[in-house]
Amino acid sequence: MSQIFAIALNTFREATRNRVFASLILFAVAMLLLTLAVSSASLHEEVRLMKDIGLFLISTFSVLISIFIGVNLVYKEIERKTIFTIIPKPIFRFQFLLGKYFGLASTMLIQLIFMSTVLALIFWGLDANFGEEMVQALLLIYIEVLIVIAIALFFSSFSTPFLSGLLTIGAFIIGRFVDRILVIRLASKDEMTPALENVKTFVKTIAHIVPDLSIFNTTPYVVYEDPIDWSYVLNGVGYGVTYVIILLFLASLMFTRRDFI
Amino acid sequence: MNQHALSVQDLVKTFDLGFLGAVPFLGPGITRRFQLKGIAQRVEAVRGITFSVEPGEVFGFLGPNGAGKTTTIKVLMGLIHPTSGQGTLLGAPLGDAQARARLGFLPEHPYFYEYLKPLEFLDFYARLFNLTHRERKRRAEALLDRLGLTYAKDRPLRKFSKGMIQRIGVAQALINDPALVVLDEPMSGLDPMGRKDVRDLIFELKEQGKTVFFSSHILADVEALCDRVAIMARGRIRSIGGLHELLTDAQSPVEIVTRGVEGAPREALAALAAQAREASGQQTFILESDAILESFLDQLRAVEGARLISVIPRRRSLEDLFVEEAAKADAADIQAHEGAPA
Repeated sequence: MSQIFAIALNTFREATRNRVFASLILFAVAMLLLTLAVSSASLHEEVRLMKDIGLFLISTFSVLISIFIGVNLVYKEIERKTIFTIIPKPIFRFQFLLGKYFGLASTMLIQLIFMSTVLALIFWGLDANFGEEMVQALLLIYIEVLIVIAIALFFSSFSTPFLSGLLTIGAFIIGRFVDRILVIRLASKDEMTPALENVKTFVKTIAHIVPDLSIFNTTPYVVYEDPIDWSYVLNGVGYGVTYVIILLFLASLMFTRRDFI
Repeated sequence: MNQHALSVQDLVKTFDLGFLGAVPFLGPGITRRFQLKGIAQRVEAVRGITFSVEPGEVFGFLGPNGAGKTTTIKVLMGLIHPTSGQGTLLGAPLGDAQARARLGFLPEHPYFYEYLKPLEFLDFYARLFNLTHRERKRRAEALLDRLGLTYAKDRPLRKFSKGMIQRIGVAQALINDPALVVLDEPMSGLDPMGRKDVRDLIFELKEQGKTVFFSSHILADVEALCDRVAIMARGRIRSIGGLHELLTDAQSPVEIVTRGVEGAPREALAALAAQAREASGQQTFILESDAILESFLDQLRAVEGARLISVIPRRRSLEDLFVEEAAKADAADIQAHEGAPA
């Protein structure tokens, strides 16, 4: 445990001392404040608009930062050869990988809490109720972020940051639209050719493998103050954690076999 | 049973490079099966080496660039997996966590987390050994002091010079008070003062009874420090042994100086020698190796009026040996390629 904690702490320090990270967060906060100006122009819909745009901004920035740092997590250690001094220490490779994961996961938690606090302060300023549904939505955004980090770490355990970045963004976009892809219609029954049938099977197989991230987006319920059941949130947490465990297991398997040339 | 501090047996490492080769699980298999050239290629970095290092020894690992030294060290450190063969560290098989807890390693041209300050940096490595907070602090401060870095303890590593980075690198290798210290090119890129510091440190480690295994290009340092050396070239160990035996082995030339050897006997003796010359009434014969020394001396004794002045084994320098072995390895490789069926 001490080893995983050491790697996690170092990853956390690296991310929080990174100027790009700090400027991204400042930019996100600036965007939130800008939203305040825009929403005040809407007629009596300030709070709804603030909820909608606020959650969208927090979710998008969190996912982008996770991908940006996530695909570089392992690659940087190999590229800069810092990993050469870590692997010979009494640490298993999977512990190193878990340390990197938890390091970024805790960085993102702090980031999410910070941005949520800014949003809550804006709500307080508007004299609006932040509400239980906002907490639920933010919790689900964090679970989505945890999955995205695991996907980024999985791809980067065997490929370059650029390729890992593309693959992670691809998986994220497919994941967000899984529900729609599964009911997609390529052509009417009469026009269906074997080739189209194959495409359909391929797309559906991918959609089945990729985690369904649409379940973590509860913004429509929040905006219309339609409370979500906590059992739904807990199901989402269980679903997310299962995906994270599988992805980290596969990433460890790849990483253990790797040569650090 | 004598337990080696470090050993490798029939170690082979072949890299599968290229686009496919780097893919774990599938890549190497596909490369071997379909012999895909261009998409994937194979490089034999280490071709079956066997050697061992004994406890308390300072062992020098020499060889030209691309000899396979760093690859061998990386296999020992668990950074790459051997294609075949075995190795041990402190009596345990490679990868054993308990053995690694007693190991210190400094890689070649180290680069460290530049956002950390020295004490944070050493604390990070000390945590990997499960040390208590108090112990981590004590060791980190003691090492900074010992390596003369206390004055820079509030600076992040990004502001460190190359020599300082090397010293903090040595500090992380010693944070667990290791029994075996492995240093990959510890003197490379250092100025004369920096090199002297590393040399003194290796002496100090030896005095403390630790085993030191290091690779180097700087032969003067190796000659001054090592009990034994191995010379590696083209993936194979070419020579191994104590410096004294390697440099004065059976193949070493011998210089014989005589007086009063003239005419036909001189010609006969000169025929045995590789070189013969005469100056100031003294004859100097250089024999290619001491294998023919006895028969040379027998003939000399038979010459009337001859006096033997001196017999001096000509000690080769480590540099001679190094260059010789590298050239031999190159020649052997070229021959193997030419001899191989097209």
